[in-house]
Amino acid sequence: MTAHTRWLGLLVVAAAVAACGIVASRPARAPGDLLPAGDRVAVTVAVEGHLSTATEPCTDTFITHELDARTDVSGAIRMFDSNGSGVAIDDLDGDGRLDLVFANLDGPDSILWNDGSLRFTRAELADFSSRAVNTVDVDGDGRLDIVFTHRAGGVSLWRNVGSAEDPRRFEPGSLPGVRNRAYSMAWGDINGDGRLDLVTGSYDAESFLELGDTFMFGGGDGVFAYLQGADGFSAERLARTSHALSIALPDLDLDGRRDILVGNDFNVQDAAWRWTGGAFESVKPFATTTEDTMSLAEGDIDNDGRLELFATDMKPYALDVPTLAAWLPVMDKMPKQKALTDPQVVANVLQVRDANDIYRDQAVTRGVSATGWSWSGKFGDLDNDGYLDLYVVNGMIDGQTLGHLEGHELVEENQALRNAGDGTFAPARGWGLGATESGRGMAMGDLNDDGRLDIVVNNLASGARLFENRLCGPGSDLQVDLRWADSANTHALGAQLALVTDRGTFRRDVISGSGYLSGDPARQQFGIPGDATVTRLDILWPDGRGTSIDAPAVGQRLVITRSGT
Amino acid sequence: MTMESPALASARFPLLELLHPRGATRLLIATILVAVVFGVVATSRLGWPLWGALAAGLVLLLIPASVKWRSDLRRYGPALTVMGALLVLQGFHGIEHLAQFFQNHVLGLNLRASNGLLSPANAEWVHFIWNWGVLLAIVALLVSGRLRNVFGYALLIWTVAHTLEHTYLMVRHLQVLDELKAMGIKGITAQGLPGILGQDGWLARADVTQGSFLCRIPGLTVASRLDIHFGWNAGELALLVLAAHRTLRPATPRRWAAPRLGRLAVRGGVR
Repeated sequence: MTAHTRWLGLLVVAAAVAACGIVASRPARAPGDLLPAGDRVAVTVAVEGHLSTATEPCTDTFITHELDARTDVSGAIRMFDSNGSGVAIDDLDGDGRLDLVFANLDGPDSILWNDGSLRFTRAELADFSSRAVNTVDVDGDGRLDIVFTHRAGGVSLWRNVGSAEDPRRFEPGSLPGVRNRAYSMAWGDINGDGRLDLVTGSYDAESFLELGDTFMFGGGDGVFAYLQGADGFSAERLARTSHALSIALPDLDLDGRRDILVGNDFNVQDAAWRWTGGAFESVKPFATTTEDTMSLAEGDIDNDGRLELFATDMKPYALDVPTLAAWLPVMDKMPKQKALTDPQVVANVLQVRDANDIYRDQAVTRGVSATGWSWSGKFGDLDNDGYLDLYVVNGMIDGQTLGHLEGHELVEENQALRNAGDGTFAPARGWGLGATESGRGMAMGDLNDDGRLDIVVNNLASGARLFENRLCGPGSDLQVDLRWADSANTHALGAQLALVTDRGTFRRDVISGSGYLSGDPARQQFGIPGDATVTRLDILWPDGRGTSIDAPAVGQRLVITRSGT
Repeated sequence: MTMESPALASARFPLLELLHPRGATRLLIATILVAVVFGVVATSRLGWPLWGALAAGLVLLLIPASVKWRSDLRRYGPALTVMGALLVLQGFHGIEHLAQFFQNHVLGLNLRASNGLLSPANAEWVHFIWNWGVLLAIVALLVSGRLRNVFGYALLIWTVAHTLEHTYLMVRHLQVLDELKAMGIKGITAQGLPGILGQDGWLARADVTQGSFLCRIPGLTVASRLDIHFGWNAGELALLVLAAHRTLRPATPRRWAAPRLGRLAVRGGVR
């Protein structure tokens, strides 16, 4: 045997061992199946409501309603004031209706309690200068709490202390061990211990502006992972600096665990970490990323069982001469990339896994690369055809960078993009979602129990808007609330769902938030084409165990409760 | 088509014969050496940017080039001299686009950094003038009776389309500059705007193409500006080489075609 042959043999053996290792590290499951082989966890399924009870006729468009909430700024809007605030949707009082929580920069944060039929009662929280908002059961008591981040500040918790007699009560709480500045956040069980952990990122450009020398020498900024234990949270600093406008917890390496992805502004590269069982390891899963990452959202846009990842940036959706003239002076002022091989692009990025599970940017080929000065971008099946559509809110107000524009405002139409059924998108101009208010936070949920996803936008310097979905069509809907009794993670944050139909498999994940500074409801909505037959609903719980429910009836809201571990 | 020069007619590769520096060979080699030495000194000692040294080198190369083209003028006449010069100049232009392509796809530089060798020449008016110049030269050659073959006509169509793209780019560039001027904004170069083809081009983004297959044509609606213009210039150069070759050495009937031609002649005679 020659030396070359020996080396070749060794290489083949090493490759085989490595391949076996990769296969062995993943849970065994059939191709295309969400659930691993093995036992199933028993659950109880309760029908909590029947949908499609709308009394309003469909109009094939969205109807705009102004809400009693507004993110305002005192005086002229300075640079980072324009970043605005987020909004969250969730059922906070347990009445089955989704309520709204608005973060506010210059006034108190507010809750709009859903009284049904799109009527809301406003309540204020004595919390100010807020950026992001999530609704999460932090203390594991079964009730959803509210968490805010703040402008150049930390994290605040509002504990849900509602009772049967007074279900709409919150009081300030504490998060022991969480003490650093936080602009964006995400919640999930990162280390697999059953408790909800928190990841925060600071926005150093704003901190520096607000705090000056204190920022320079005070520390406390960057990306932190707070792992929750019995006595509170223990902080691990993952990055010393960040301009984190968005954080997501996708499973980047498909090992069944949530990883951390931080989207940074100002051509500071996005950063990602994976939990290796005892420590965090920095990873670089993308060949191309957004330069000014403003929001992150996951969704299975082609129903192939794999989640795509969408990030927004700034790029005009129209290319007429006035639009280009409005944009060019701004882009000219933007910081320029330093490295010749910098992977960042100033455009939206859609990370799609190829056959080898490697992410490739397909934003251009799938028609989602340019949606304006984009803030929140989220997926949702708005027309109940079984395919996730995309909505992006946009606009900018700033006396400094937009001094050449009237009112110092870049006025843009929010962009609704309909999924053509193959994972490509085209503008859905007829849907009436092209509002021109300067949108920032955005969330989706069925607010009037009619089986269609509505949209709420927290605008800057104008009232928040509710876009009531009155699209027509033969599709129906199934909504699912997961409950995990006897667990600290009562709403099963991190669970994955797959609705298997004869028209494809529709994936959803239970996450605390997505888009820009905004929370997502624990309730999952599946749009179902009119002629589809639903075979089963698979649930992969955060601990890796599975539940399969055969042929759930559509047009209703299910509460699926798992007892014990 | 007749040959202007017996030397070209008898050459095995007439195109190489046309491009051969002949009497200017030594001058060319000496100029290249001087340009290289100057480039090294200028970039390492004088702090010149690489593009500056390259531009100076290209200016120096005009000396042997002018000697050769004067000789060509006497030897082959003006038309073939223009054809030879066009091949050389378009060849250098092609190298610039090849450099950009190499920087982006082989070295992995991002699009902003893939500026080629002469980055300041990457200006809209330079592209505009260059491409109109190439188009006029090709039209002049066709009018003079050269390049009149299938590749030459394909070259004309290709070059007209390419020049239209650059005319569209130039018009948009000027419109945006006018708009900026009306807004009282100065100092914005407005370079690198999207054209007709490529991602963000008119075909991909215009309202009239939305919802149709036109905005989804693979390559033409998704390629970067760098790739689109590499393609334009690679195609142009390839067609120019083929057209020039066919001009210098017209196709002769192949042996298998001879009997058929004979039959056609007989039929013609019967009629």
